[in-house]
Amino acid sequence: MIDPLFALLVGIGVMLIAGLVFWPQSGLFWKYQKRRELTEKVLIEDTLKYIFKCERNQKTATLESLAGALSTSQANASEILALTQARGLVDLSENSFSLTDTGKRTATQIVRAHRLWERYLADTTGFDEGDWHQQAERLEHKLSEEEINRLSASLGHPTHDPHGDPIPTQRGEWVSHGGLPLSDLALGTPSRIVHIEDEPEVIYAQIIAEDLHLNMVVEVDETSANRIRFWTDDQEHVLAPIVAANISVVPLPEENQDHQIEGVSLDSLQPGQTGVVTGISSLSRGVERRRLFDLGITPGTPIDVEMVNPGGDPTAYRIRGSVIALRSNQARLIKVNPKN
Amino acid sequence: MNSNYEKILKSARDLRWDIGVDFHEKTMEALYTDATRIADRAVTYPKEKPRFDLDRTIDKLVTSRVWGFPLMILMLTFIFWLTITGANYPSGLLFSLLIDKVHPLLKAGAASIGMPWWLDGVLIDGAYLATAWVVSVMLPPMAIFFPLFTLLEDFGYLPRVAFNLDHIFRKAGAHGKQALSMTMGFGCNAAGVISTRIIDSPRERLIAIITNNFSLCNGRWPTQILIATIFIGTMVPAYLGGLISAISVVAIALLGVLLTFVVSWALSRTILKGEVSTFTLELPPYRPPRILQTLYTSMIDRTLVVLWRAIIFALPAGVVLWISANLMISGVSLAEHLVNILNPFGLLLGLNGVILVAYIVAIPANEIVIPTIMMLTVLVTGGNGIGEGSGVMFELESGLATLNILTQGGWTLLTGVNLMLFSLIHNPCSTTIYTIYKETGSAKWTTIASLLPVVMGFVITFFTAQIWRLIAGW
Repeated sequence: MIDPLFALLVGIGVMLIAGLVFWPQSGLFWKYQKRRELTEKVLIEDTLKYIFKCERNQKTATLESLAGALSTSQANASEILALTQARGLVDLSENSFSLTDTGKRTATQIVRAHRLWERYLADTTGFDEGDWHQQAERLEHKLSEEEINRLSASLGHPTHDPHGDPIPTQRGEWVSHGGLPLSDLALGTPSRIVHIEDEPEVIYAQIIAEDLHLNMVVEVDETSANRIRFWTDDQEHVLAPIVAANISVVPLPEENQDHQIEGVSLDSLQPGQTGVVTGISSLSRGVERRRLFDLGITPGTPIDVEMVNPGGDPTAYRIRGSVIALRSNQARLIKVNPKN
Repeated sequence: MNSNYEKILKSARDLRWDIGVDFHEKTMEALYTDATRIADRAVTYPKEKPRFDLDRTIDKLVTSRVWGFPLMILMLTFIFWLTITGANYPSGLLFSLLIDKVHPLLKAGAASIGMPWWLDGVLIDGAYLATAWVVSVMLPPMAIFFPLFTLLEDFGYLPRVAFNLDHIFRKAGAHGKQALSMTMGFGCNAAGVISTRIIDSPRERLIAIITNNFSLCNGRWPTQILIATIFIGTMVPAYLGGLISAISVVAIALLGVLLTFVVSWALSRTILKGEVSTFTLELPPYRPPRILQTLYTSMIDRTLVVLWRAIIFALPAGVVLWISANLMISGVSLAEHLVNILNPFGLLLGLNGVILVAYIVAIPANEIVIPTIMMLTVLVTGGNGIGEGSGVMFELESGLATLNILTQGGWTLLTGVNLMLFSLIHNPCSTTIYTIYKETGSAKWTTIASLLPVVMGFVITFFTAQIWRLIAGW
């Protein structure tokens, strides 16, 4: 029989290698797969997208920045650029380059695919908001124009992606959200979040961590050079100006300033208390939101707090005669007016 | 004309951007609000609630901090106890009828009409014996466990168990109702997989389906009890034997529960991340259980359906087993060839070739693992007149005699312990695999649910064996 010590070491070695190769996301196998997907088509499309973004933001794209965006060497980047020029997608002159009309059209379609995918991931899958962008970056290259149109139709032709970016139509039309950076918002102006930039990831992660989402109403009450303090409902947030600049807001119109949902969160009620539903926060999306409506949680519905799990979560509520248990992260999104 | 169309289309395209991001949500909300308004006008509710609300009183008790968990454990222990003790007698009766009486009768009948030996072997020693074995071991516990479980469900208690346990399951990324499908799995994994229908959130339902196999099912309890009794129970003084072997079986079952949580946790964070998750748990009002109806539905829906599937799978397994033990290739039976091929790998895992072959043959039904192991061991060691002949499964009345045969086959304490581990952690039986396919409708999830546990079983037994041998100095 094989020496157990030897077998043990080989076994541990095999496990380590298997871990190294198949570890979720950072495993070598997944990296290899990602590399294989990085075909010429993908590189060209990413190049177009990058130049397109630069043009929209009135920045000049340089070979150096392009190489950075594609995470490749400058030699490779210039090779790809030559390819795009040969296909009539990019105009190269001296030191700058710009998209031709065909190039613009192609780039718009890729942006359209990307944003539709994000919408799809947000509405019909369970992926977290932190995962949407990366997934869409991969998926955007996979569909033909016809398939993109079908995806759009199946989602009900959405106008915006979950970050508030407009989705270009089939004809390539779109209007921008017209918001101003939160860092520039005047004190004491209730405003609605219309866009959250999802790049760079580090900054986006901070925004997610603050639980800030589209359509929330914010009000700034303190700005200084290194921090901005603002409120959503009863929640206080403090962000660095550079982070806040990635959130765009539109001031609420004068006559509509009490637009936000009133009341307290359902999970703040104690057993025996009753609350009347005023609304469900927009953080509850897609299937989950539909389920809450299905249960009859609509504005005006009284909800009694029935009992709490021995461990504190979930809590059972009496809704329209039936007893339903909800977890606190769901009950938190239901706003109620407490009744005595 | 044409320019008018263009104008209308243009303004429609422009307006599209003005209706707002949450247009669909707003429409949906308005529809629901309208529906509510209409319902409120049309439906009247009884005005005054009775002062004493029985439901609420029971709920307070069964979900209270102090009484919730003890009541739950008491109730489940009672059901298991009733199932195990209650099933013993009818099981023994069926066994002596189908195997001790009918089997020899069939053999005699076959001999009297001069049936060729191979046909008699395939039909009676193979197909009939395997099916009869599965029926007699499987039917009585299921016929007791499932109705009892259904009664508790009907009464309304089980949703409260899910409510109490959700706190723990949530941490593993699972649904409280998985407590129910898991418990059901202790009866039968196929029934457990069917019972995940109560979980309406897609992600949590898949977790419950894939991990259900870690509930030690009724077909595997006898294996655990036998091996624990003859290998672990005999290690200690006789008066402690029963207790120690019982503890080790319970420890294996608890290891299964632990693995359920660990695997649920890992699944919900990796491959199941993209599935939609929506939690709700309805706590229906209590009602007196409808005993006759419950008996009828649980017999039809659960017991008979599961039994029927098991028979369909056990019958060909019996045929395959008999043929493999009797089909000679260059003087040695096919089964022995297989045992010899798998033996080195089996020994590496602290098992042996016989066990691996038995688990391949017993994919259709775990009930026949031990009889198959006995038959194969005798076949391989040459047996000295023990057993019923090649291809005929058997068990011995006496544990000591069983132990003797197995030690002759090269078994050690490590083999016993690793067999217990492998019996808990291996692929689901074919009935369960088929049920998983039916329930998920997906070849991908069925493959994962089938292969994940058996790979885990190989890894766990392998490491146990090496560490054991290092410490024991083999």
